[in-house]
Amino acid sequence: MDAHNLIPERTRFYHSSSFKKIIVPVILIVLWIVVSQLKLVRPIFVPPPEAIWKAFLGMYKLLPRAILTTVSMTLTGFGIGVAFGTISGLAMAYNKTIRDLLGTIFDLTRPVPVFALIPLFILWFGIGRSPQIALIALGTSVVLGVTTLEAIRNVPNIFVRAALTLGADRQKIYTSIIVPYIVPHLVGAIRVAAAASWGLGVAAEFMGSQAGLGYLIILQQTYLRTAGIILLVVIYSILAVIMDLIIARIERHITRWTERRASIGVVASIVGSA
Amino acid sequence: MASEVHPPKIQIENLDFSYADEQAKPLNILDQLSLSVFDREFLTIVGASGCGKSTLLNIIAGLLPPGSGKVYIDGREIQRPGPDRTMVFQDDAVFPWYTVYQNVEYGLKISKVPNPTRDQQVKHVLDLVGLTGCDDMYPRQLSGGMRKRVDVARAIVTRPEVLLMDEPFAALDVLTKQHLQEQFLKIWNDNRITVIFVTHDLEEALYLADRVVVMSSHPGRIARIVSVPFERPREKDVKTTLEFQTLRRELSYVLDANFSD
Repeated sequence: MDAHNLIPERTRFYHSSSFKKIIVPVILIVLWIVVSQLKLVRPIFVPPPEAIWKAFLGMYKLLPRAILTTVSMTLTGFGIGVAFGTISGLAMAYNKTIRDLLGTIFDLTRPVPVFALIPLFILWFGIGRSPQIALIALGTSVVLGVTTLEAIRNVPNIFVRAALTLGADRQKIYTSIIVPYIVPHLVGAIRVAAAASWGLGVAAEFMGSQAGLGYLIILQQTYLRTAGIILLVVIYSILAVIMDLIIARIERHITRWTERRASIGVVASIVGSA
Repeated sequence: MASEVHPPKIQIENLDFSYADEQAKPLNILDQLSLSVFDREFLTIVGASGCGKSTLLNIIAGLLPPGSGKVYIDGREIQRPGPDRTMVFQDDAVFPWYTVYQNVEYGLKISKVPNPTRDQQVKHVLDLVGLTGCDDMYPRQLSGGMRKRVDVARAIVTRPEVLLMDEPFAALDVLTKQHLQEQFLKIWNDNRITVIFVTHDLEEALYLADRVVVMSSHPGRIARIVSVPFERPREKDVKTTLEFQTLRRELSYVLDANFSD
């Protein structure tokens, strides 16, 4: 007789997955409240929960406009970057001439830390949205370009051989074999690039924008309003999480056909999909 | 039995093929190989692993260029792959991002066959291989044997001139393999096309073929060609007859004698 069945349900909650997921954040929040109530740290470093609420009240009129500015800027840059990167990658794989022509630029641009280009872009594009969009587009397209190229190289050649013996030409193979195959392999890079886009966008806004969430953060910093900064960072995180969830949703739909969906049981628990 | 009066469907003349291995030493895979394959015959090629039989098939498919020598189909020189010579591989080549229906339809769409003909042909062939009703399933939902049947369906629906098969059933378990052999033979019997079937399984070769080509290895040459005397349609019990086993034993001696490492 299994001893487990003798233990009442209540006690088992402490071992459940849901409990483990929330316990760390809960402990951190409790610590935060304790620290600020007991005034163990100066409020400028760790503001109490009330201060965050007050900051929100002071800011909420500005938030919608700022969020819209930042989100539209980030998404535009991200969208351009993904499109340009993927298409460049495909073009470079498809055509040797293009590969030779574009490949060098990609190889040279890749190691450059994109953040370092912020001041240069501001000089070129002025203060405003253009340098930010350009920056995000550049960073994203380099990552996507390389990932696309690598993904194409890893297409199992049996699929190409089968398509050839069925009469497919180069173009047909690219549209019906290569593109569908690499999509799930690009998703990982796209999610990482999305998260990075937010980071790039913030940094760009710090440097010289007159609108958006980053600008608000700089304002808050100027007046030493830690609570405001924390609030804005939280808002940023929420935006990034929402975007990630949307991408994940799309990913689930597009990768219906891959093995990932079929992992169940032991395999899933080992590879972390369960 | 295939007619030997008409010109051969596939003609291989003095085929050489070699490639350089890691130490840049040229490895001679095929050596002055000549062979005629007749229209609508079922030809199997048997040999040990590494004897070059797959290479030969890939050259006929146009996926590899001949080293020297020439290969012809219906008198035309073979220079590249094409839908006149479709191929079924040992590994899974079913496209996982397409449904069963879309996979089988693939070659027909390339040849621009219009609906409703295309739809009829796809449905007919799915019926032949016993996959009716699986149209909208994805390959990952199918068993290995079912995926292999999609492979075969996809390769025959376009009515190719020649069907090339590279150890297609080797990766399957024995029961599924036998079942597919019988099923495929029945389909072929009702729709005769030229088939070149490569295998290392002597029993399979004798069961399926009109003629069996035994290859030697290192380098690959033809050691013996045998005409298979059994009537069609072939009963699966023919495998256990004395005549069959005697022939099999004889050929296995030929294989052993020509096996080198």
